[in-house]
Parts: sequence; C-alpha cells; structure tokens
Amino acid sequence: MSMAAAAPAPVSAAAGAAPVILAENVAVDYPGRGRTRGIRVLQGIDLAIARGEFVSLIGPSGCGKSTLLKVLSGLLPPSEGRVQVAGLRPAEAARQRRIGLVFQEPTLLPWKTALDNVAFLLSIADRGLRRSELRERAHEMLRLVGLDHAAERLPGQLSGGMKQRVAIARALALDPEVLMMDEPFGALDAITREEMSDFVLDLWQRTGKTAILVTHAIDEAVLLSTRVHVMAANPARIVEILPITLPRPRTEASYADPAFTRAAARLRASLRHGRPGDAA
Amino acid sequence: MMLLPTLLLTVVLLGLWEGIVRLLSVQSFVLPAPSSIAAVLVDHQGLLLHAAGTTAVEISVGFLLSALVGAAVALVIERFARFGRALYPLVVLFQTVPKVALAPIFVLWFGYDLMPKVALIVVIAFFPVALSMLAGLESVDRSLVSLMRSVGARRSEILWRVQVPHALPQLMAGLKIAITFSVIGAIVGEFSGASAGLGYVIQFASSQLDAPTVFAALVEVSLLGIVFYYLIEILERLAVPWAAKFDRTARIAEHDP
Repeated sequence: MSMAAAAPAPVSAAAGAAPVILAENVAVDYPGRGRTRGIRVLQGIDLAIARGEFVSLIGPSGCGKSTLLKVLSGLLPPSEGRVQVAGLRPAEAARQRRIGLVFQEPTLLPWKTALDNVAFLLSIADRGLRRSELRERAHEMLRLVGLDHAAERLPGQLSGGMKQRVAIARALALDPEVLMMDEPFGALDAITREEMSDFVLDLWQRTGKTAILVTHAIDEAVLLSTRVHVMAANPARIVEILPITLPRPRTEASYADPAFTRAAARLRASLRHGRPGDAA
Repeated sequence: MMLLPTLLLTVVLLGLWEGIVRLLSVQSFVLPAPSSIAAVLVDHQGLLLHAAGTTAVEISVGFLLSALVGAAVALVIERFARFGRALYPLVVLFQTVPKVALAPIFVLWFGYDLMPKVALIVVIAFFPVALSMLAGLESVDRSLVSLMRSVGARRSEILWRVQVPHALPQLMAGLKIAITFSVIGAIVGEFSGASAGLGYVIQFASSQLDAPTVFAALVEVSLLGIVFYYLIEILERLAVPWAAKFDRTARIAEHDP
C-alpha cells in the first residue's frame, strides 16, 4: 500500500528482509494514582520478527507478556521506545487491517451466528464491502477453520474450542499480515488445548502468516514456534530468545522428537532461571 | 404437570380458610370466606372487569413510559460519561424519596384521570429499568470494545451494535421488576384520587365495610400482575432467545453430578 511505502524505513532492520514487527527499547508504565508512583510493567523490550515467523512469548503469569502484546497490537501506547508493525505505528497498522487479534476469551457476540460474528468486525474495518461480499468472505474463513457447517449456529451452541476457532476466523477475515494471539487456548481443557495447537500449527503452515502467540505452555510454544522469547517478571523483560530447530512440517509425531524434548527442557530451565526468587 | 402440586396446595389452603371462617363464624367484614369472595367475582364481574380494564390501561401506559425513561437515562449516563457522573447521584437521591408520598402532589398537578397514575408509575418503575440497563451496557467485554475501536469503530457503533444488544438480557430482568412496581404504582395512584379502577373499588368497598368486594378486587389485581409479568417473560423469550438462561446445554451441564 502507498501508506506503507511513505512511512520511514525501520531502523536497525536486518539486511534484506525488513522485520514485519519491530520494537526498540519499549517500556510501559501503568500510571500511579495520587501520590503512589506508577508501576513499570515492561522494560527495555527489543523485538524483531521477520515475515512468516511464528514467535511465542512465554513467561510466568503476570510477567507482562499480555501487556507487550497489547503494545504490539496498538491497544496500548508504549510509555517509552518505538514500535512498528508493517512499517506503521501499531494503532495505524490495526486500522489498516494489518493485525488480527485473538484473546483468551472468544469475545463473540452471543446474538450473532458464527458467520455474522466473523463478518461483523470486517464490516466495521472495511465499510466499502457489500453484504454479499462480507458473507462470502466469512464463509471462506469458516471453511479455513473447518467450521463452515456451523455457520448458522449461535455461540451458545458451540463448544469452547469451536468458539475460539470462530474468533480466529474473525481475525483472519481482515486478511492481516500478523496474527496476534493472547493465550488463545488458556480457557480450554487440556485435550481441546492440544487439538487447538495442532489446528493453529496446520493453519499457520497453510496460510504462512506471521504469528505471535502469548502462552505459558511450554509444549505449545515448542511445537508451534520458529522462535520462543522467554520473559521474566520484575521488571518484565525478555531474558532469552530460543530458536526452535524442530524439523518441519511438524505434526503430532513432533512431540516424540528428541529435538522437541531438548527444546522443552531448555525452555523449562530458562523459565526457572528467570524467576527472581531462583536467581540467587 | 409442574403446576399440579401448586394447584393442590391452593385448594387445600382455600378449604382450610373456608372451614375456619365457617367454624368460628368469623364476621364477613373481618375476613370473608373464599365462597363469598367467589360470589362477588361472579355477581359483579362486569363492574370488576371494567375496573380492571381501567387499571390495566394505567399499568400499560405507565410501564411503557417507565421502560422508555429508564432506558433513556441509562443510555445518556453511558454515552455522555461526564454528564452521567453528574446525573447518577441525582437519580439515586431521587430514588430515596418515598414516591408513594408524591401521589397527592400528582393528583394536585394532573387531576383524577390517567395522568397522575402514569406519573406515579414512572417515578416508581423507571429506576430498576435504568439500573439494570446501565449494568448491562457497562458489562460488555472490554477486549471486544478495544478490538472494534482498533479497526476504526465509532463510539455510536459500539453503543448501538454491541452494548445495547448485550444489555438486553439485563434490561429484561429490570423490566420484570418494573412491571410489578407498575401494578403497585397504579393501585396507590388510585387510592390517592380516582373515580375508576381496582384501587378505587378497593377503597370504596372498604369504606362500606364490604370486605368480600375488597378481596375480589385484590384477586383481580393479582391476576393482572401475573398476566403482565408473564407477558414480559414471553417478550424476553422472543427478544433474547440467545441469553445464557435459555441455554439448554448449559442447564443440563449444571445438573450433571
């Protein structure tokens, strides 16, 4: 798009492939009230994510990984530092439909069918689309997530995993460059959770979208990611970046691969080390 | 049938009542027997029905206005946050005024017809509507709102296309409270000055020590209340069939041991 071309070129980009997501020295303070000082929830975050990567942000609960995702998706402006998504400020990137967002809760509208839920966000993001175009696109997305047969069902008639797949279809309907998922399987049971990991893995391998996943599940991060960023709390920061060399295409069999076990052990150690109590 | 035990219990209780009144030969103006109440219901059915019609009109008009005013107050408080913060304490303060005491003033202002009853119903019944609607508007998922805003949704779009439909189940709960308040408002309004209606019949009959007629009118007031209440229940099923309370799968899951 012409807007993107007019934007200043991101600095410190790796030669050749400009990162689609770039964060430099990002910090976030939650403002204090009255005399209490604000709290620094993120500190010195640097990120460079290339097109087509699948990056997981893993860390203990409350370490600020969701806050980081809010900054990257444009929902929260950083207090310090610079963020670019597809060469734009994140809020602008979101407005131009470059970002697809999925939350822990599916946040579907209970009075709208699966199809209308998928079409609804798109209808607001792109006011030029006709109703028939919206429906067609929504059907296409539901087919992509394997739910076209449930298009006319209300969210109350869908299982937790299906609802989350509708939420993913809603995000993909925008045709974003980056799919950002904030603990999308956190509210699901263990079995559904694994099914959803396989589903997202397959989806990513088919669509080739850049993806960021916030999670606290080690297996999930290893199976899905090209790189895992390990975060630690107080102050929240990235303590390690671990490339996952597990061969592709990955499948259920990948869990048994020695490379999987090694990567998982490494992550586990890194997460333990990152805890302030264990540092000494 | 679920109603059968209730019906049986009702018959037993009425029988006891009839028996006690006859056995102790209680004076009719103190406590009339169910049979004499029933006799009034049959003998004066035309008069009672006419009175019930008058009261039903008062309830309907008053309730509809309460619903409109209540919903409007909630929307204004939600949409214009700064004005809402100023308005809300006043609404609560007004709620602490014993509104039954306003009835004579409304008679003074509006006379003896429909208007003073409607006014009394509105001041009594708009509050539960406003409160429940406001709670519904505010309980919308924040992530969804920020997601919509991030792709360029206007404030009014979020309000009308997300918040208002989201608030409907809670609004319905408020309307059910409001309809029972409306019945009370109509009767109190008629007590304070009326020439027709069930409240008027009750007051007139009690001045004549005609307890059977008082009780007969009471029966009709209760029936009116029940009919109106279930009308709202039907409306609820039509308006928000997707509400969690109608979710049969969830209910089955709850009963699962």
